[in-house]
Amino acid sequence: MTAILELRILPPLAIGRLGAATEPMDNYTAELDPDEPLAPRVLVPAPTLRVDRTSGEIVDDEVPEELRFTDGHGKVKPVAPFVEVWALTEELVLRPLTMELLRANKVEPKDVRWRTRVGNHKIERRTYDLKDRVDADTGWFTDHGEHALTGRCANFLADKTLPLGHVRYIKPTAEYPGIRLRFTPAGGYVYGSGGMIGEHDPNVVDALYDSTKGTWRGHVDKPGDPRLTIPNSIYAGDDGPHGTWISRGYLDDECDGLVDVELTVGGRKLTAYGRIGAGPPAYAPDSVPVRTIADELDQALFGPRAGDHDTPEDAHKVAEEVLRRALESVRLMNTAVMNGNTVDGRVDAASTMVRQDSADTGRTFEPIMAPSLVDTAAVFALHQDVLAALRSGTAPWFADVLRDYDEVGDLTAKGRRKMPALMRGADGRSLALTRRQVDLVRKAARQEIFRQGQGADESGGPG
Amino acid sequence: MSDDELRIHPLNLTAQIDHRAAGNPPSTLPESAISNAYPGLEFDIRNIWRRLLVGIELHEADNYVVDADADHERLKGRRLLAVAGHDVIGDLVGPTRPGADPGPLTSAVNPDGVMMLEWSNSLADVLADHAGETVTCLFTSGPAPNPVGKPAKVPDPSVEEVELEVRSLFAHSEAAGGPLPVIAEEMAGPGDLTRGLCSPWQNDYRECACYYWAASRPDYVNVELTGLGTSTGNHWFAKDREPREYVLDNRTDSRLVSYDDLFRDWQGRLRFIVGGDDAPEHVETEPGDR
Repeated sequence: MTAILELRILPPLAIGRLGAATEPMDNYTAELDPDEPLAPRVLVPAPTLRVDRTSGEIVDDEVPEELRFTDGHGKVKPVAPFVEVWALTEELVLRPLTMELLRANKVEPKDVRWRTRVGNHKIERRTYDLKDRVDADTGWFTDHGEHALTGRCANFLADKTLPLGHVRYIKPTAEYPGIRLRFTPAGGYVYGSGGMIGEHDPNVVDALYDSTKGTWRGHVDKPGDPRLTIPNSIYAGDDGPHGTWISRGYLDDECDGLVDVELTVGGRKLTAYGRIGAGPPAYAPDSVPVRTIADELDQALFGPRAGDHDTPEDAHKVAEEVLRRALESVRLMNTAVMNGNTVDGRVDAASTMVRQDSADTGRTFEPIMAPSLVDTAAVFALHQDVLAALRSGTAPWFADVLRDYDEVGDLTAKGRRKMPALMRGADGRSLALTRRQVDLVRKAARQEIFRQGQGADESGGPG
Repeated sequence: MSDDELRIHPLNLTAQIDHRAAGNPPSTLPESAISNAYPGLEFDIRNIWRRLLVGIELHEADNYVVDADADHERLKGRRLLAVAGHDVIGDLVGPTRPGADPGPLTSAVNPDGVMMLEWSNSLADVLADHAGETVTCLFTSGPAPNPVGKPAKVPDPSVEEVELEVRSLFAHSEAAGGPLPVIAEEMAGPGDLTRGLCSPWQNDYRECACYYWAASRPDYVNVELTGLGTSTGNHWFAKDREPREYVLDNRTDSRLVSYDDLFRDWQGRLRFIVGGDDAPEHVETEPGDR
């Protein structure tokens, strides 16, 4: 027997993406083209698990002929992630929890218990009223039907709830024996506030919030309150007196929360949890953001400094990935506008870091780079050249121009030109990468310079 | 490979975070989610740091203490300036007139010209080196609704040193004897990771005309070179793709998708972008092609 010591849910953070189409998004991969390494990643259809609506079983894993992100009828296909249960066994390896492994431990699929708890606390974050929290809890279940994530809120109108999607314990079969749950997020609808007779707002699909109980409709972020969200006043609203922003009382069906799993083996209760969330679609699915939540988790787990366990190949891979991501962002940015250039005769033509720096700190308004240099085509070509050089083994000189985390307040001309440029970070000033990303790029640079100094063959990269 | 053949080392946390469950597209992974959260798209990931120090709750995006337990009630409303010797604030420096030398950027509400440094980077050493330990935290000695700088020397009457324990950000594996790759429940409960996001999120796609997330929320699409060697293309929000020109967003131009358009029909209005261009499914079939 292979005894189970512990359970885990993988991936530990699974992202669902909203959409109202009936069928969820197909599976695909985003691959680099070895013949055109500077070209966009190629989206390739991949085996897609199709779940029978009645039984909850996976019935096939065919590869779709083409990828479509919408259903052709104006609805976006929701991204509905599976989360798998993995078992740490006595051999001290993690392996998928399957029917066979359950049998070996004298338990069955029906002994696996699930629970999902999600919340949408956006209103409560603004009003500070706990009665404005929207929460859903499936309770424990072992069956294979759909379990609605029904959002309830003390300040909702009577009998009104917020649909936040559903979860389903996929029924394992001989062909698909893994123990897994699927989270299908909500449709991406906008809901409103009611409580008055005869109201109709065409922007919302239903009125849920009772404006006679709570304060969300009509709420104003009070200037000077240090508890406000940063940035503040980010809700649907209308201009009010004295520069105020008055909430229309809208809410959405995003959420995040925890998936719990429980199994009792040999009299010992094993538990695990993973996290899920529902956000908007990734509208450029072949691109990866410069700094991602994976980078946050990586730094939190391994610290801000590259260590001995980070090989030169790892560091080089990170350097190349950072540059490729920058290229992918530049491809989709109007860098001339973002630089703060005068465009079509308009000064301060858009919401840019130039505007934000001036508005937030009083810094003088001026473009970040020389205005003649920053057309998207030129910036894109520059990033391509650097990526090509890096791939051919040249040291990543751009390590020297990366912004350090404690330099984000440096709004001198030189400071603002550091990389990543033109983008906003989590503290409101120009974006810095994680310190670990920066340190790995610098490690790659040191390795390359050292290697080239030793007279190594310069024709190819490491690894 | 069948399920029964897959294996991951329990301490290989990266492999677990990056694990793509069978059938999941890449957009389900943390690598697909932006983390320059201001406030974010999928998550406002800044929220995972609020409870790092036992006894107090920090603002997710400021060095302000929003709540505290009974033993630390006096810290509520104060500002945290440093943890274990690591500053969580930095100076704001720049010119206030064209061509002028840079200097401190101060104002009536920020007389010291300082800013909070995002938790993820400013607390990275603290988490790496002191999780589970008690460390010295430097707070203002009184309530501080506005930003405050750190005195040149400590002790100083304007600040107070307080010993606080540092929590681990991650859940713990008893069996493997190390962290699990999942954010601990005590650090963020249901709803905590999305609470700071715009309500509704559709509003934020329009609200600040934010182009800081181009890889998720594109800005400039269908880009092509002009005869002058510069680029032209569409604003992602352009209702019509011809003429191929970038319509500056003044929030009222009817050629761009409006707030109300997004509230009512974002799914029909927004287009997926592949290779920098509208995905084939959005490209209208020319009459001659039918």
